[in-house]
Amino acid sequence: MQTETAIQDYRTTARKWLESHAATYGAAARRGLDDKADLALGRAWMALKHDAGYSGINWPREHGGQGLGAVEKLAFEEEEMKFGFPTEYFSVSLGMPVPIILRYFSGEWVLERARAALRGEEIWCQLFSEPSGGSDLAGLRTRAIREEATEDWRLHGQKLWTSYAQYADYGIIVARHDPTVPKHKGLTYFWVDMRAPGTTVRPIKLADGSDHVNEVFFDNVLVPDSQRLGAVGDGFKVALETLVIERHHASDPAGFGPPLDLFVREAAEADADGSSLLDDGRVRERIARNYALQNGLRAIQARTQLLLALGVEPGPEGAINKLVAARARQRLSEFVLDARGPAGVNWQSGSRSADWVRSWIAVPTARQAGGSDEMLLNTIAERILGLPQDHRPDKGVPFNQIPR
Amino acid sequence: MALIYDEAQRQIADECERILKDAYSAPALKALLERLGCYDESFWQLCVDQGWTAIAVPEEFGGLGLGLSEQGIVSQACGKVVGGAPFLASGYAVVEAISRFGDPALKDRWLPALARGETKGVVAVGEGRAILPQAPCVRFEEGRLTGTKSAVTGGAFGDVALVLAAGTDGPVLVLADLSGPETSREILPTFDNSRVTADLVFSGTPAQRLATDGLGAARTILQLLAVVTAHEQVGGAEEVFSWARTYALERIAFGQPLAAFQSIKHRLAENYITIELARGNAQFAAHNVDDPRFAQFAAAARISAIEAYDTTSRDAMQVYGGFGATWEADLHLHQRRARTLAVECGNSLFWEDELVEELRHAN
Repeated sequence: MQTETAIQDYRTTARKWLESHAATYGAAARRGLDDKADLALGRAWMALKHDAGYSGINWPREHGGQGLGAVEKLAFEEEEMKFGFPTEYFSVSLGMPVPIILRYFSGEWVLERARAALRGEEIWCQLFSEPSGGSDLAGLRTRAIREEATEDWRLHGQKLWTSYAQYADYGIIVARHDPTVPKHKGLTYFWVDMRAPGTTVRPIKLADGSDHVNEVFFDNVLVPDSQRLGAVGDGFKVALETLVIERHHASDPAGFGPPLDLFVREAAEADADGSSLLDDGRVRERIARNYALQNGLRAIQARTQLLLALGVEPGPEGAINKLVAARARQRLSEFVLDARGPAGVNWQSGSRSADWVRSWIAVPTARQAGGSDEMLLNTIAERILGLPQDHRPDKGVPFNQIPR
Repeated sequence: MALIYDEAQRQIADECERILKDAYSAPALKALLERLGCYDESFWQLCVDQGWTAIAVPEEFGGLGLGLSEQGIVSQACGKVVGGAPFLASGYAVVEAISRFGDPALKDRWLPALARGETKGVVAVGEGRAILPQAPCVRFEEGRLTGTKSAVTGGAFGDVALVLAAGTDGPVLVLADLSGPETSREILPTFDNSRVTADLVFSGTPAQRLATDGLGAARTILQLLAVVTAHEQVGGAEEVFSWARTYALERIAFGQPLAAFQSIKHRLAENYITIELARGNAQFAAHNVDDPRFAQFAAAARISAIEAYDTTSRDAMQVYGGFGATWEADLHLHQRRARTLAVECGNSLFWEDELVEELRHAN
């Protein structure tokens, strides 16, 4: 099939290019760098990709992209992922905030933002979740209060779990302008300057010791009305639009944990007494079942990419990827530590892909971020299987009358 | 190109489903459960009339010359209707064995008859608990078989059998002609009697050698059969899952449909996931039949399909409540078939071992 060959060629060329830069920018080059140096390396990597024509792969040319399809983007991301390049600082930025402002604004200013974001010079964050609005996004409480004279806005409140906010130059935010109407109707959407007076970013240290997520406080922060996206009251609609803008992300059947083969090799090695874990039926069962699960995801992913290459929108089965991969990664990582016996407590810092301890300790966030397991099951049940929605007592109730 | 079905393949799938749906009769299938040594002759005749027995037979021998994907598509449709005869899949395995390992004379003799459905092929590889016995007890000497192959699916009516036997220099794969008086069949009462499972007792049954590396050849055939069976399991899982979904939407309790309760919703969502993983694995394996890693893909397809069919049929019973456990509800047709297909052609223990050994050598 011609399309398939063209994609394969694109992938092969990209892979060669990536390989040629792996030593300078990949996992090995990052080892031992502090946050600042790692981010600097990341910015340099983004600039290099931009120069080489590998950024904004599926963005339109007039936005500074390459004008290609989701399938080329996926192919590139899958290859890029294998080398551990420092891309994580930019994935939210380029995935949602920048594409949405490109939809709602035009002209020099927004094109310059897009260019700077693609080159890693600027970073955008997404200020959606809050202490009282995570899965229930429309339950958020950050207020946007309009100043009568200027028609500009003042932000008051707190956002939570904002990835890489500590490095962000700009953000997109949903806030409540009217608490007297039902929750979905009282929201409005803006972009904000993260350096505006009254904005405070505090990194949150997670259980694994990392601190890439933040809480962000807004204390009477001025937001000009010219920074609004969509009409007043359309905030929830624009938020949903933002969330579906990048429908196709590179996924990893291992849930971004270490590859299964790594455990197969470890299990095949002889222990002190000469025995091998790979001869233990319980270990064999785990390996076989994880392989079957990952191969199933790989198959679904491969089918999705073929359909995209043919210009056909893939089926809904892609929705299961994150749910299945993340929780399987959790159980497998636990099991690997278990199988090591007392030595399983050993935590030698290593590359992310090689580190089952890091995989295990960091995985709870993978089962929450981007939709918790429970929300994803609801999505599958309601959107794909057509089952009834949950009972929602706050439906149609003015926000300020919902019991807190 | 079968990871996404092309137009022709989609037509096969739609046509199969339509024809089989019209022919489906739960009362007839349940009657077969209570009769020993009977299969659904009208279902089998339908398979023959539709040319499904000819799918994998090369064109020069009167077949359609299609591949594993097409065979899988048909099997998936048969799985949905809990097809009342086992010969389509087992016959496919025999066709593959003859096509791959047989000499021209054997092909001439058997393939056209298998394609026309006049000859029923069965697979008699396993013995006792082992689906692939390293040292088979059945012996092959001077063109004759002696010994017993236990629990052969379709064994009561097979005309020709693929047999793994101990030859003079190790295990060999042979093709046995079951038509003569040298073979006796002991039909086994089972929980899924239309499989017409029987012990085959060979007392000088005539047979011809297909492959001297009997274990390797048998393993290849089991892998192909596993992928076909995986499709059948996916079909069964899809069907019983759709029953559960419909029931959950229609049955009212506490003033709302069962499907509005998260415990039910999430159970059904998990079922959907299990089926999609199994479907992905099965299609992927069929698509990659010539890949050096096919053995891995086939094992994964099998493991995943066993889990999907067992889980969906088990959960459907739970969603139905007490009614699910009745003879009338028909769910037990799937409950039985899920378990039957799970143990025929290698259980999950076997395929897990196969897979891990493949991975050991690949790493």
